Amino acid sequence: MGKLVKLRIDGREVEVPEGTTILAAAAAAGIEIPHLCHHPELSPAGICRLCLVEVDGRLLTACYHRAAEGMEVHTDTDRLRRLRRLNLELILSDHPLDCLVCERNGTCELQRYAYEFGLEGNRFRGPDYDRQELPAREDNPFIRYEPEKCILCGRCVRACEEVQGRGVLDFASRGFSTRISTGLDRALTEVNCELCGQCLAVCPTGALTERARRFRGREWELRRVDTVCPFCGCGCRITLHIKDDRIVRVSGGYRGFRLCVKGRFGLSFVHREDRLRTPLVREGSGFREASWEEALDLVAERLLTIKGRYGPDAIAGLSSAKCTNEENYLFQKLMRAAIGTNNVDHCARLCHAPTVAGLVAAFGSGAMTNSIDEIVDADCILVTGSNTTEAHPVIAQEILRAVRRGATLIVVDPRLIELAEHARFHLRQRPGTDVAWINGFCHVILKEGLWDRDFVRERCENFEEFAEVVERYTPENVEGITGIPADALVEAARAFGKAERGMIFYSMGLTQHTTGTDNVLAIANLAMLTGNVGRRSTGVNPLRGQNNVQGACDLAALPNVLPGYQKLADPEVRGKFERAWGVKVPERPGLTVVEMFQAALEGKVRAMVIMGENPMVSDPDISHVAEALERLEFLVVIDIFPNETTRFADVILPAASFAEKDGTFTNTERRVRRVRRAVPPPGVAKPDWEIICELATRLGYPMSYSGPAEIMDEIASLAPIYGGISYGRLESGGLQWPCTDPDHPGTPFLHEGRFVRGKGRFHPVEYRDPAELPDPEYPLTLTTGRVRWHFHSRTMTGRVAGLQELVPEAYVEVNPRDAARLGIGDGDRVRVSSRRGSITVTAVVTARVPEGTVFIPFHFGEAAANALTNPTLDPRSKIPEFKVCAVRIEPVGK
Amino acid sequence: MREGRILLARRVNRQEIVRKFPRREDQLLPLLHALQRANPQNYLTPDDLRAAAEHLRLPLAAVYDAVTFYSMFSLFPRGRHIIRVCRSPTCHLLGAIPLIEALERELGIRIGETTPDGFFTLEAVSCLGLCDRAPALMIDGESFGPLAPKDVRELLTQYREVKR
Amino acid sequence: MKAFAEKKVLLSNVGAIDPERIEDYLDRGGYEGLRAALKRSPAEVVGEIKESRLRGRGGAGFPTGLKWELVLKSRAKTRYVVCNADEGEPGTFKDRVLMEGDPHRLIEGMTICGYAVGAKRGFIYVRGEYALSIRRLERAISQARQRGLLGRKILGSDFSFDLEVRAGAGAYVCGEETALLESLEGKRGWPRIRPPFPVDYGFRGKPTVVNNVETLANVPEIMCRGAAWYRTLGTGDSPGTKLYPLSGALNRPRLVEAEMGVPLRTLIYDFGGGLPGGRELKGVLVGGAAGAFLAPEELDVPMDFKSLWEIGAGLGSGAVLVFDETACVIDVLWSVLSFFAHEACGQCTPCRVGTVILLSLLEKVQNGSGDPAVLEKMLKVTHLMKVASLCPLGQSVRLPVETALEKFRREFESHLKEGPCPQCKATTEVHA
Repeated sequence: MGKLVKLRIDGREVEVPEGTTILAAAAAAGIEIPHLCHHPELSPAGICRLCLVEVDGRLLTACYHRAAEGMEVHTDTDRLRRLRRLNLELILSDHPLDCLVCERNGTCELQRYAYEFGLEGNRFRGPDYDRQELPAREDNPFIRYEPEKCILCGRCVRACEEVQGRGVLDFASRGFSTRISTGLDRALTEVNCELCGQCLAVCPTGALTERARRFRGREWELRRVDTVCPFCGCGCRITLHIKDDRIVRVSGGYRGFRLCVKGRFGLSFVHREDRLRTPLVREGSGFREASWEEALDLVAERLLTIKGRYGPDAIAGLSSAKCTNEENYLFQKLMRAAIGTNNVDHCARLCHAPTVAGLVAAFGSGAMTNSIDEIVDADCILVTGSNTTEAHPVIAQEILRAVRRGATLIVVDPRLIELAEHARFHLRQRPGTDVAWINGFCHVILKEGLWDRDFVRERCENFEEFAEVVERYTPENVEGITGIPADALVEAARAFGKAERGMIFYSMGLTQHTTGTDNVLAIANLAMLTGNVGRRSTGVNPLRGQNNVQGACDLAALPNVLPGYQKLADPEVRGKFERAWGVKVPERPGLTVVEMFQAALEGKVRAMVIMGENPMVSDPDISHVAEALERLEFLVVIDIFPNETTRFADVILPAASFAEKDGTFTNTERRVRRVRRAVPPPGVAKPDWEIICELATRLGYPMSYSGPAEIMDEIASLAPIYGGISYGRLESGGLQWPCTDPDHPGTPFLHEGRFVRGKGRFHPVEYRDPAELPDPEYPLTLTTGRVRWHFHSRTMTGRVAGLQELVPEAYVEVNPRDAARLGIGDGDRVRVSSRRGSITVTAVVTARVPEGTVFIPFHFGEAAANALTNPTLDPRSKIPEFKVCAVRIEPVGK
Repeated sequence: MREGRILLARRVNRQEIVRKFPRREDQLLPLLHALQRANPQNYLTPDDLRAAAEHLRLPLAAVYDAVTFYSMFSLFPRGRHIIRVCRSPTCHLLGAIPLIEALERELGIRIGETTPDGFFTLEAVSCLGLCDRAPALMIDGESFGPLAPKDVRELLTQYREVKR
Repeated sequence: MKAFAEKKVLLSNVGAIDPERIEDYLDRGGYEGLRAALKRSPAEVVGEIKESRLRGRGGAGFPTGLKWELVLKSRAKTRYVVCNADEGEPGTFKDRVLMEGDPHRLIEGMTICGYAVGAKRGFIYVRGEYALSIRRLERAISQARQRGLLGRKILGSDFSFDLEVRAGAGAYVCGEETALLESLEGKRGWPRIRPPFPVDYGFRGKPTVVNNVETLANVPEIMCRGAAWYRTLGTGDSPGTKLYPLSGALNRPRLVEAEMGVPLRTLIYDFGGGLPGGRELKGVLVGGAAGAFLAPEELDVPMDFKSLWEIGAGLGSGAVLVFDETACVIDVLWSVLSFFAHEACGQCTPCRVGTVILLSLLEKVQNGSGDPAVLEKMLKVTHLMKVASLCPLGQSVRLPVETALEKFRREFESHLKEGPCPQCKATTEVHA
């Protein structure tokens, strides 16, 4: 920590770390210095001049100048008050005074100062220098810009550049004509804006506001509910602002204001008319409305019949990474205790099963080792197989912040993803060759003596076997396999090897392969070799996709473990659960997602319970899934919207969305946070946990809880990593597991001093080809992924008009050279086919993809990328190879 | 057809110009000057701005920012020759207003406009640093002054003849 | 009283040599200052400049030697020399005359500076409108390179240094040194908050000497002839000669060079040839648009930093703009304020809004539609701008407004009472 400096502010003695600004030092002493251009999360600008203070007779800019030892600061003298008052008068001389109808009435910072300084009338107001009529702009779905209300503080410009790394906004013109503008004054939608809305979150006036909130409620009429964003694994804290039981706007986010387009503008799905409002029962080819009584009785009766006829293992359940921890716990309890099978899984199988398999083997725990807050202090960041900007926007912001502070960024990704633009090194490997380049990194680091000998000796095992294998992965050999130039590999490896605090981030680009587990093991090797585990700002950090995929795994919506990753095979563990649940816990591990559908086709699984999942879009080889669902004797789906999967259901049960129920989510950094009921569910829809309780009870296993808090208490009593978590403690903020007892503060990073499994274990892994390689018939490699505008199977975002408008349909990215060879132009309709199926989409010709590779986002049911993907599984984790399959493309006649 | 060829030539030319500049942010002003000079109509097109942004790896907004901040850059077509008439306090004192009026009358355009034949654009400038010759003006890089309103016609006629 | 004559030191070559031929410059002892400097240590060169007590000619009058010393002693390895040739101050054309007439003098001065402070690269930021200056400098630089006076191992020494000319693009504010650095970096010319000063945080964040053309042009002379000689010129506080651009109602408007401390009266009546048609002098704007209005009874003020400061004015660029009895002070002030309104950069509130409000208030005076409170309002605004503006541009607007109001108050009042004078009328009609 830096030195402290002591100074006096308005007679109060203050001690702050060296480098603190006068404004921040004053704030620490409880003294607020008026300011408009400054924002604590942005770099100082010093341009509004309101924060001037007197220091030893001189005027200094408090937001810019640093506190120094012995300073005597006066923040509120008569002279300063006069200056500020006059300055405000100048700002207001051309500001519209339409506070009556301004959305920021009551929260406008300019209005507040005008009031506090008693600015009645204005000596300088006049028509002569009124800004010319500047019309409001609404040239994008979400953000309204009223230039007349802009006071040119530049916060939006800095937020766009510093937080989002975009620079979409900047000043334009000069003097009194200065304004905020995009390049060439184009609409935000035309200048590569992410519409994250960071700009409006920091705007001090009504210049930038949410379009959707207009005239829907003044700030003091809005009820606020703190909860958690329902989209990705970043799990940002958000505040819903509600009037008349409708969400008017969203605030909050990481560090108080940072969200992405989905979190800030994508929650209107909650109020959609087409929400499921009442239970539906199949009748002929359609559905009819039914009462809860009727629907639940029917489900119970059918499940009991099937269980009676074929045994409990003929029933399988898919739990949901979108539902709360409590609901996931109850769901697996329903399957295990009420039905008596371990056939429970969820979509984590399709994303991070290799992470769990690999990291448990190497470290003893499958979760992200470190925390989001630590990113900014890393000095080298390796991102691979994660399009972080689009899939985990807030984490990408933190990575950018670290880069701005001098961290080296290494991106290994076949596509020219956005983070690559900020990277010192961008290595573009051939899809599916990850083991090779990771081993290559290890090779270089070993050869150049950049490895952490002490760490390896004291904390790891099996090093020699590993070293022997990577010996063969010379940069030249690696280049042959991966296409990454040898010298680039060496330089990047060196940079990572030399780092003091190296952080690795990865996501599905690493796991969704037949070698997924090997990839993860290789990454773990790299982290151990460089001693980057068990310290702040280091670690192996798999980014979890869904808001609560971490929690769904933690609470054992998995076929082979019990809550808290306790081993199903361990009789003592089973004994504990049997005592608590009062029934026998089935011993045999259950089926995984892909195995369930296989089993359904084979007639081994006869009924399924699906809660909040849409396998008809998200699973590989969809035609196969459809066939399996078709074959089931009974399917019950619990969801908030009708979707591609509910079409196959016999009974559909309407659930409450995240905004309509209490519970907890666990985000990617293992942080458990409270989700709070903000509005009532539509129609007679109910929270999933209530539905499960009623169903279990009808199945002859009574379940009754006063609410999610009581369920959490049961979880805490059974799963040691959640042992210290209770709703009481969560009131004051989140807790990161392991949190073993009520006094445990939670764990920001894992493996400190000791790996969970004791010693970290090196696993020698050899490169293997992907299951399906391009050949003359299918000459291109298809890889799939996300776009920032949509989430997963689009059940939610497809119902947000603005988001749907921005990216309405699927497309395929094709490299210009491939496009030229195939006679495909930008915007052409093309047919993409694999051995499993074909879809028709629009071509986007772009160098974002390398030659020979094409990319399709997987969100779109109508043109589902997963009609093409290969269901071949990684033998250990059973994840299908979503990221590599062979395809061909042909233009379709107009 | 002809227009198409000119556009194509401009594009090729633009790339040639852009390539000469190192990819550093501090090259922005020199690059913009070069692009504007290469345009017979003395202005920067949206494509020029995009090319500069792409080459220097800057956001388009940052390039637009600079172009709109500095008064010598134009985003609109201008004449082949730019008359910059000084309206500094010195020139103002010694008759800049009558001089400007004479120029406007003679050219048939107002400040900021271009003659219909695309020959001259008339601009007013804060100060040209020709105060010893006030009231003064510059046509492209050449200075003239002191000028009385009555000198304007001859000056413009001669200039047209020399440059035609 | 000391009799003042023109004294050509900096201008000794201007008009006497062909500025496009380096030979001419060399024949007249050019680059001898550089040779002399290279024989001494950088610290000695800095010492010599310090001893000469040369003060910056850009307007602020900061001791040049001290500036150089701060950069020389900096811990950063990369350092820069930047010449501020963004001469945009109304009434000022001295740097242009130097660059057009004797470009090598500037190059030599900068090279000496580079050697003294340990810089390897220098930039001359010339305003874009000075096409001829840019051409001559570029030609001179290439000639100097060919002769080994720039580039690697200059004159066989271990010192390498090179120069680049950068053209501005039409923004007065870039004459402010930190705005100039921003512009040099490729950004909009928005001044930085100071401190830190360029000697600590300059071009691309590295220690940088930013000196005016005229300042640097003094350097070769000091190296050749020594600090002691230099101090024999001018005043104790402001040694040396000064370039005074004379303009306005004069028989011989031109650039003159004289020792610091020459009385304003001498400049106007002796060197400038007095006012045409025997007209009476009404006032003088000294130092440029950002300067002060002086009344006829102040003509004996010595034109140096200290003397002008003592009467509440400033030397600024040394510009002298004379207006006679037929001129209207309000109209002159109008053109000063419309200059500032046009050239304000827009960054900080007091100046962005203040310049426009001042102009509009003055227009109320001009067309006689304002009440007397207008004048007090103007003073309120200029006071805010003086203390709260971010950079010297905004801070300096106060000087012309306050001095005009102080010294020509009756003229303002008569406008308010009687409506516009013919000049003001002409001006407001054109700009209506």
